[in-house]
Amino acid sequence: MANLKDQNDEALIVEKHVRNLHNGFAHWSRQEDEPPALGDSRWTADIILSTWLMAENGRAPSNEKEYRTGNSEGGFDHLDFRFLPESEWLTESTAINLSIPLNRRGEGREIEIKVPFYGGGMSYGSVSEQVMLARAMAAKATGTFTCTGEGGYPNSLVPLRDHIITQVATGMFGVREETIKYAPIVEFKYAQGAKPGLGGHLLGDKATSVVAQIRESVPWVSLFSPFPFHSVYCVEDHRKHVDWVRTINPEALVSVKVSTPTDVDMVAVGSYFAGANIVHLDGSYGGTGAAPEIAKKNIAMPIEFAIPKVHRYLEGEGVRDKVTLIASGGVRTAYDIAKAIALGADGCVLGTADLIAIGCTRCSNCERGRGCPFGLTTTDPLLSQLMPVEWGAQRITNMYAAYAAQLREILRRLGLTSIRELRGRRDLLRYVGGSNGKATA
Amino acid sequence: MSDLPRNGKTPAGHITSAYERYHIATQNSPDVDRWPSRFNVKVRRSGLAKLLVKELLHYGPRKDVILSRPCMYGVFSGPVGGFMPREEHCVGCLRCTTEFPDFVRVEHNPERRKLGDSHFKFNYVDAVSYEAASGLIPVKGAGYRGKFGGEGWDGMWTDMSEIVRPTRDGIHGREFISTVVDIGHAPNFLLFDESGQPYGVEPRSFPLPLPILYDRPPESVMSEQLVRILARAASQVGTVTVVPIDQATGLGEFGEAIAPLVTPEDANRLSELDFAPQLIEMQGWNESLFVQLGERFPESLIGLRTHFEDPGLVEYAEAGVSVFHLTADFHGRGESGAFVLDMIREAHGRFVESGIRQEVTLIGSGGLIAAEHVPKAILCGLDAVALDTPILVALQARFVGECADRMSSPFRMPEKLDEDWGVQRVMNLTGSWRDQLLEILGAMGLREVRRLRGEMGRAMFMKTLEVEAFAGIEGYDGKS
Repeated sequence: MANLKDQNDEALIVEKHVRNLHNGFAHWSRQEDEPPALGDSRWTADIILSTWLMAENGRAPSNEKEYRTGNSEGGFDHLDFRFLPESEWLTESTAINLSIPLNRRGEGREIEIKVPFYGGGMSYGSVSEQVMLARAMAAKATGTFTCTGEGGYPNSLVPLRDHIITQVATGMFGVREETIKYAPIVEFKYAQGAKPGLGGHLLGDKATSVVAQIRESVPWVSLFSPFPFHSVYCVEDHRKHVDWVRTINPEALVSVKVSTPTDVDMVAVGSYFAGANIVHLDGSYGGTGAAPEIAKKNIAMPIEFAIPKVHRYLEGEGVRDKVTLIASGGVRTAYDIAKAIALGADGCVLGTADLIAIGCTRCSNCERGRGCPFGLTTTDPLLSQLMPVEWGAQRITNMYAAYAAQLREILRRLGLTSIRELRGRRDLLRYVGGSNGKATA
Repeated sequence: MSDLPRNGKTPAGHITSAYERYHIATQNSPDVDRWPSRFNVKVRRSGLAKLLVKELLHYGPRKDVILSRPCMYGVFSGPVGGFMPREEHCVGCLRCTTEFPDFVRVEHNPERRKLGDSHFKFNYVDAVSYEAASGLIPVKGAGYRGKFGGEGWDGMWTDMSEIVRPTRDGIHGREFISTVVDIGHAPNFLLFDESGQPYGVEPRSFPLPLPILYDRPPESVMSEQLVRILARAASQVGTVTVVPIDQATGLGEFGEAIAPLVTPEDANRLSELDFAPQLIEMQGWNESLFVQLGERFPESLIGLRTHFEDPGLVEYAEAGVSVFHLTADFHGRGESGAFVLDMIREAHGRFVESGIRQEVTLIGSGGLIAAEHVPKAILCGLDAVALDTPILVALQARFVGECADRMSSPFRMPEKLDEDWGVQRVMNLTGSWRDQLLEILGAMGLREVRRLRGEMGRAMFMKTLEVEAFAGIEGYDGKS
């Protein structure tokens, strides 16, 4: 602790609360007792506290907490793995490959990520610059990516640009030619799982002067991205979008992020034929900085149902091995990632999990006033200091490492040496819903 | 608002020349009855005192540092700070208990969770209360927190359109999506004679600017004041409220907004009305009364109020009924135990199979307790819904035990029910639900709610999706 006399009140206040918070995360993640109001059906208190522990030490929890599945009574929580008998498990020394290619078209730049997941878009304004930086640093340390979201590209991210996806969404907030040139991957966000068909929200209290400047908007005025892209009426128009990006940055891979309507399979195929390298499905239970409650539960299907639908359709069209299928929207654990891949995805995108790692309690107050009381989904200058960048980067890196270790363990128990072998292996899953009880793995 | 023309007509019935966009005048109307806080915040005083002493010794005169609290929402901002937490401000962020796990504990308040009953659970009560107080769409951060799916309304998702949308203009004020519905009769097609003039049965309906009506309150809370609240709100919103005839006779000033409900025993009281209703509801089928009412009130549509599982629906339509108000109990159940969502599909399907669905209007009540239930009910086949328990919750009625019976359920209204406050709360709820209907329609790319009716291709059911996704996986038997 620095000398008190050298520090102003603000610095001392930040230091005091940061110290208390860090102690609290460590305390609760080790207690049998849990904060009584923590957690919900999807992100149970056990999963949140286990994620805090993984973020601290980089390992899967060895305590009694159920860190693999939630309590939602459906989807991933009703699926289990059909592990081999222990005598048939691969040895712990067996090399297991978790990498996946992001360009499978056979032309253009080859990009592989070392783990079958990357960070989803969270815009500047919805989260702090510190959070964006921490996520990007963790992506670099892990050999994967994070994504800007639709809120511009703060200059502090430029040194990490090889690990950052530039998102182009319907409001075009902060999209500039240089940010497209920076990007190894450009993501077109057509829709977001938490609010399909509605466009982005940034409520006025969070549109600070700095946020407004980078978004080229007016301070303290709520921002609503339109829906859909007003320049895209059909898949041919989408192709023009791809051409536009490739004219600016011929090397960039293109990802298309869509939600999960009933015809999501056809959307995916159309996206592929329009030139996408990555089709990113964002299911309806995904995260958000602000969304109408009616949209979160009721519009579009959960990702567990969309993945096999799209996987089969791409297979039927004979293009499954030409496109990387990425799933997000309710992916909470390493086990969810593995189940998504077994259902047919190549990999997953994480969003909420990153925030949980750095202290989110999922209290759902991200949109309110100054934003997050833990300094995550905020642009308030004081609050955002509650999440020191290096601390956050290490926490997310640790969680990614714990996920990777769990994925290797899952593959080892299934007798697989590569995550790519797991794709579409529904035969390795077991349904444990209904009268069968609840998933344990 | 009350001075605006309703349904595109002046009070005299002439079509207005100037276009006026439909709007419900919502305004903040806070709770009058203080409900239990969402959270209990327990601070062990000795722990807090020790902390203060420790910080006093450490930080000395740096008062702002010592008094910097872990709550942004004002729970510890009272005169004595954490020694007397202001629980009503707590939003459950848990920062305090994270920072001070040794002596601060935040718990869900069990008293709050007692609001409502087994169908109208406390989280629905919370949502309706917010909507009635603010008139706004509930918007929150973070993703969905509930169960994966479930039975009834929870086992259904609505579709959205990814790219191709007929509206093209986005929502949030820049787009016009019509929520107008027609109540009444429309023939499947028009017939023209040799001279090109139409003949035969002509369309006969009146438009409502939104697919939401208000239903009669249960007898247990029926009062003149409550009926006036419904009538005034219906009049200002431009819709219709169902009112038992014995309560309707003094409501002439609200005219078109009143749909008297009659039985054979009290139908003669219709003569006491000093206005011609657009719609008269007849409780249960009685052919002679139906004919008699039609003759006495040729300007009015005679609707039939019956339960969803009434086996005679198609026969009644063939006998001339064009408006059906179908009811389930307040928990959405029919006598057979079927849920309202399934009963809507079944009733709608019967008219479709008979080839006369276009000729009738189906209004439904019972078990519809959240904004999302309106588009889902319309997707399943209703033309409009008539709200029941949500209005009572908007007026801060308390459930006394289980409240399923439509007539005798024992709600307890606030002791002081101010009429102006009540009208605004009902209008706020209606405005919020209409705006949320627009969100759903906008996401689908539909320009009018009439196109939503029975549009099952835009509905996704958990049972179907799960079979498609999980069939063939070991242990999956098609039953979630």
